[in-house]
Amino acid sequence: MGLQCCFGGTTFQTLKMAAIPSLYSSSTSILRPVSKTLTFNFLSRPHGRSLPLLVRALSAPAIQTTGRTTTSPDDKVLRPQWKAAIDFKWIRDNKEDVAANIKNRNSNANLGLVLELYERLLNVQKEVERLRAERNVVANKMKGKLEPSERQKLIEEGKNLKDRLITLEDDLLKLTDELQLEAQSIPNMTHPDVPIGAEDSSTLRKVVGDPHEFSFPIKDHVQLGKELDLFDFDSAAEISGSKFYYMKNEAVMLEMGLINWTLFEVMKRGFTPLTTPEIVRSSVVEKCGFQPRGTNTQVYSIEGSDQCLIGTAEIPVGGIHMDSILPEALLPLKYVAFSHCFRTEAGAAGTATRGLYRVHQFSKAEMFILCRPEESDSYHEELISIEEDLFSSLGLHFKTVDMASEDLGAPAYRKFDVEAWMPGLGRYGEISSASNCTDYQSRRLGIRYRPESSLTNPKKGKGNLASTQFVHTLNATACAVPRMILCLLENYQQEDGSVVIPEPLRPFMGGLQIITPKSR
Amino acid sequence: MKGKLEPSERQKLIEEGKNLKDRLITLEDDLLKLTDELQLEAQSIPNMTHPDVPIGAEDSSTLRKVVGDPHEFSFPIKDHVQLGKELDLFDFDSAAEISGSKFYYMKNEAVMLEMGLINWTLFEVMKRGFTPLTTPEIVRSSVVEKCGFQPRGTNTQVYSIEGSDQCLIGTAEIPVGGIHMDSILPEALLPLKYVAFSHCFRTEAGAAGTATRGLYRVHQFSKAEMFILCRPEESDSYHEELISIEEDLFSSLGLHFKTVDMASEDLGAPAYRKFDVEAWMPGLGRYGEISSASNCTDYQSRRLGIRYRPESSLTNPKKGKGNLASTQFVHTLNATACAVPRMILCLLENYQQEDGSVVIPEPLRPFMGGLQIITPKSR
Repeated sequence: MGLQCCFGGTTFQTLKMAAIPSLYSSSTSILRPVSKTLTFNFLSRPHGRSLPLLVRALSAPAIQTTGRTTTSPDDKVLRPQWKAAIDFKWIRDNKEDVAANIKNRNSNANLGLVLELYERLLNVQKEVERLRAERNVVANKMKGKLEPSERQKLIEEGKNLKDRLITLEDDLLKLTDELQLEAQSIPNMTHPDVPIGAEDSSTLRKVVGDPHEFSFPIKDHVQLGKELDLFDFDSAAEISGSKFYYMKNEAVMLEMGLINWTLFEVMKRGFTPLTTPEIVRSSVVEKCGFQPRGTNTQVYSIEGSDQCLIGTAEIPVGGIHMDSILPEALLPLKYVAFSHCFRTEAGAAGTATRGLYRVHQFSKAEMFILCRPEESDSYHEELISIEEDLFSSLGLHFKTVDMASEDLGAPAYRKFDVEAWMPGLGRYGEISSASNCTDYQSRRLGIRYRPESSLTNPKKGKGNLASTQFVHTLNATACAVPRMILCLLENYQQEDGSVVIPEPLRPFMGGLQIITPKSR
Repeated sequence: MKGKLEPSERQKLIEEGKNLKDRLITLEDDLLKLTDELQLEAQSIPNMTHPDVPIGAEDSSTLRKVVGDPHEFSFPIKDHVQLGKELDLFDFDSAAEISGSKFYYMKNEAVMLEMGLINWTLFEVMKRGFTPLTTPEIVRSSVVEKCGFQPRGTNTQVYSIEGSDQCLIGTAEIPVGGIHMDSILPEALLPLKYVAFSHCFRTEAGAAGTATRGLYRVHQFSKAEMFILCRPEESDSYHEELISIEEDLFSSLGLHFKTVDMASEDLGAPAYRKFDVEAWMPGLGRYGEISSASNCTDYQSRRLGIRYRPESSLTNPKKGKGNLASTQFVHTLNATACAVPRMILCLLENYQQEDGSVVIPEPLRPFMGGLQIITPKSR
């Protein structure tokens, strides 16, 4: 919240309903003159306070780098490349709850600093306002007939005020940037039902099926894959590195079958199918709550550009309606997006990474919903329910877990994970995750909607932005192919080394019913 | 120096030995440098050329075959960008925001069309004895070079990953070529026939103009690629087989196209001979390349180190297990089975109807849940 624009050299464009192509998309700000405490707007217009249109300002030319931040000329403060529409007033008014939340999530966000910066910011704003008013008074006085000495005095006074204003406005800019940087680390609030604590505090929501009892010694998916000639990890290690793989023969058909079946099933439930770019600007990755350039980042960056590879279709789908105001009638927007995903898996090691469990590249179908705030809880239930249906249809045994506060990740208000039984590994492994991100992502991506009631009020007019709200966004894995294949191979193996194909997939695999060992 | 010598004679020999050793070190160093320089220069020498290939620039290319004619429309036609907009099939604008130009989202029936095309193509090519594969899309840059591409040249087509020696593939030809890198294959295994599905990434540096509007030239796309490793004497005939499969596939989809034997200046360094298929794109009002079939003979295999051991050598006891004189370099060939964006472009533009709908070619319908037609959506 708060008008965050950079003064000096700004230009404005009217915000259209759809996404706006812009030359400076990586360095734009969203202006939102909503509450009375908003006092940024006067920066751009020395004489007035109102900014009737929702505008999109170009940041000052200093912000034009490939990094998340850039240094300002005097090298003291890093400038954020983009600004999140954070509700500072709300944070201040609810600071105990915010502090408790930060602690529960084990986050290292510095709330004290955020509040301090905000106070200073407000004070500097007041001072700037005061000086501007004084300058107006002086300007008005100069319009009348004056003695030369009086005029001279006024001119000096005016100049003095102007100089002080320039300094303060510069401070304001620095404070705004610092505040942004600190505040962006504050994690989303948490649903009251979420258990507080570490992974072992997570609550069991549901169990479907039981672990299948095998009457013979079972194999893991790596061994099954080798015997059935389904994967090649060795050649991939040569040409690409570890945690890469080729899929061969029926495994390719299994991937095609899983993706096709999943897309059709989710489309039937009213989701619009999409394929997405897999190379995106790093600012979009950050706005979704990921860190492209942190140590142990999960994100691959493209050399010589500000682009990255996506780790999930959540990112390009979140970006579709970036910087837009959607008519309420359009909500909810429900997408099922298919893409390849790329993750560095920096810092991950151990036996859990053998075979297909943890890989650098994989295919995934992801569900994404944009909705009104009051509906996000119920859509979260809908998403997990769709996932449970899909996995049950495939005959998998799994449990759904309500993730504890330390395991949520900054964007999620609440997160349900599905962990499927992987007999070859002898344990449960995560095959899917459904998160309600409430307005965390939408405040960063700038996705709002206009409630319909405002349209019927003639007084408000077309341009009245007081009525726009941030949407809530949710995302959920419909199918992450490698782990699904792992589950299917390990669960459906037979004593003779063959693997049965679950019924729902067969029509999407040319009718194939079973994967049998090949004769040599 | 092994015999009994006078001290002075021994000393003379020691000095002579040292002198020879020093001269050898210098020469061996020269040898190393020369070897490297020679490699660098020689790697630029393009593959030899098939005798039937026309000499000259693009306009010298020979027409091999024409299938069908340009469909006559009885109404003013639209290009695929307009059709896509009206049928809500693509989003270029949002993609330009989040990624840049020449990126796109596909929506609704276009997604089903991509799935249908890939699935149908894989099944059709599998039926002809090709092993289906999916491949890594991030590979070491050395593999890219060994296939004949230039990851780090100016105007390179190749995206590199920051902080590593890895690149994104521009075609599955690269990871498939890499599978048997530095190997000796038993002759009985040949020919090896793969059909590989992957996403492909190209910088398209230096490409501009109207031909790049819409789906014609994009940075990321899905592609099914055929790849054959075979004995040298068979590569010409497998080249014919590959182009024949492509022509079958495109005919089945009802496209009108011509097959061209590319002229010498248009071959690209690895190809001994290259056939391009250019399909009629009514919205663009011209033919556009939808596929390419190249015979790279031993150009790639000499760089990737892919050899085979002819069976006759196994029966000669004198040669023994380690005798490499009997190994030969395989020949490699590659051919596009389906490059999705241009196929979708062709299908939309050719199958459009006056009311703005688009008919789905019959072979694809079973792979699209039975969908027969893409109709404008009611608002």
